[in-house]
Amino acid sequence: MKSLSNEIRRARPLLGTIVEIGVPRGDASTAIEAAFREIETIHRLMSFHDSSSDISRLNRSEPGEIVHLDHRTHEVLAYAQLMSQVSAGAFDVTVGGKLSEENFLPKPAQAKTFDSQACFQDLVLLPNQSITLTRRAWIDVGGIAKGYAVDRAVMTLKKFGVVNGIVNAGGDLSVFGAAQPVHVRHPENPSLTFPLGKILNSAVASSSGCFNDHADVYQVSDPLVDPRRNRRLNWRFSVTVIAPRCIVADALTKVVRLAIRRAPRILSRFRAWALIIDRGGLQILHPEGNKGMTGMLKAADRVMTAENLIQFHTSLRHFHERAIRSYD
Amino acid sequence: MQKSQWIWLPATQIPIALFAPASYGATYLTIEQAQEAIFPGENLSQSFITLTSEQVREIERRSDATVRQKQIKLWKNPKGGFFVVDEVLGKHEFITYAVGLNADGTVKQIEILTYRESYGYEVRNSDWRAQFVGKNASAALKLNKDIKNISGATLSCRHITDGVKRILATYEVAFK
Repeated sequence: MKSLSNEIRRARPLLGTIVEIGVPRGDASTAIEAAFREIETIHRLMSFHDSSSDISRLNRSEPGEIVHLDHRTHEVLAYAQLMSQVSAGAFDVTVGGKLSEENFLPKPAQAKTFDSQACFQDLVLLPNQSITLTRRAWIDVGGIAKGYAVDRAVMTLKKFGVVNGIVNAGGDLSVFGAAQPVHVRHPENPSLTFPLGKILNSAVASSSGCFNDHADVYQVSDPLVDPRRNRRLNWRFSVTVIAPRCIVADALTKVVRLAIRRAPRILSRFRAWALIIDRGGLQILHPEGNKGMTGMLKAADRVMTAENLIQFHTSLRHFHERAIRSYD
Repeated sequence: MQKSQWIWLPATQIPIALFAPASYGATYLTIEQAQEAIFPGENLSQSFITLTSEQVREIERRSDATVRQKQIKLWKNPKGGFFVVDEVLGKHEFITYAVGLNADGTVKQIEILTYRESYGYEVRNSDWRAQFVGKNASAALKLNKDIKNISGATLSCRHITDGVKRILATYEVAFK
């Protein structure tokens, strides 16, 4: 508890979840306030629900119309496009229509309709922070904006001279400056947690079908749409991605779930790795396969930095010894 | 290109110690700290009110939320602003929070004071909840102190959003 007593933690309801910011004790209230403000701004700009948000203006726009956006919205959409490209469409922000049809999102005010054929390729980024849609589409950045908000909050804290801290937006988190222990929830029994080890200058994000607004914990209800099949998924597992930035970790959780075979290559490209927990056990998806795992386990006693990302709990050795199968 | 592999570990072989039951919780602010955070440097005067049954019905009608407590922990500031401490009970969480309202009834700021998670029946049990009354909640609950940062499926803030709606209705019905 020593570290806690030297730390200020604040929490506010934002981004549809509870956002927590922790920084060392000291005169940090201005920095915390500024970081929360930045998250509020991102919430306001990228809300699917708020009719005055950038995203709502985009969702109301006619095909071909040029929509000018805040630089932050443009940056998120640019990142989303990159994710769509590297995952061959597994990640796609044009799934808002499907989510709305399934009542996970409300029908946006004033938006006419959406073209069910629309996909990420219909979203064309233009210079000067503008964008245009080639088909009517309902964009939902719910799969990436939370991670972005965490990154921006960390940037804001640093700008105010905060040297170490954590921003945790309901499970999507980023630790900077000093290592902090992070635990991962079991997807089927959220009272159980798995010790991920200490995280430093990295982000962790998880995605799972359980534990959301639409169902009890033990009843699966999952607002994740497979854009290629235009179907909602019902999977009982959680994916946790550890990456240098939270926007990457957040988006990659969806990529791993939707494009599991290609996931190792994609993860490797972003210097990320993943942990999958389901009823059957625990899987680790590391870009270097067994070699990477062994290296990680050898280094389990020390804190790793962005390149290696994590200090694994030493008892994970047991896991490794008992590994019985591996896939390509 | 690097050869990528899965490492597959069956659940039956996971050492039990690795999945530790956690009662996660955090204390963020005391009431006084929250007052200072929302209305810095201002003197707030305590002015608790007890709602009448008619007021409760009207608040429930307007906010579509159940009023669990008739006593409203209310403070006023000299400029006509309001500070309310409220609690919400979700299926698995117990949250106390403070809302600052401007004189015109708009939300100035929301701060979470304490957050507790539970997956047993105890949250529903009134005796269990009674232990929180009048004391620092962190003292009352045995928590796993190592567990302070959790990644996992996103927690919803819906209960707080509903609570704030109820407080705004309470403002209309009983504060003005």
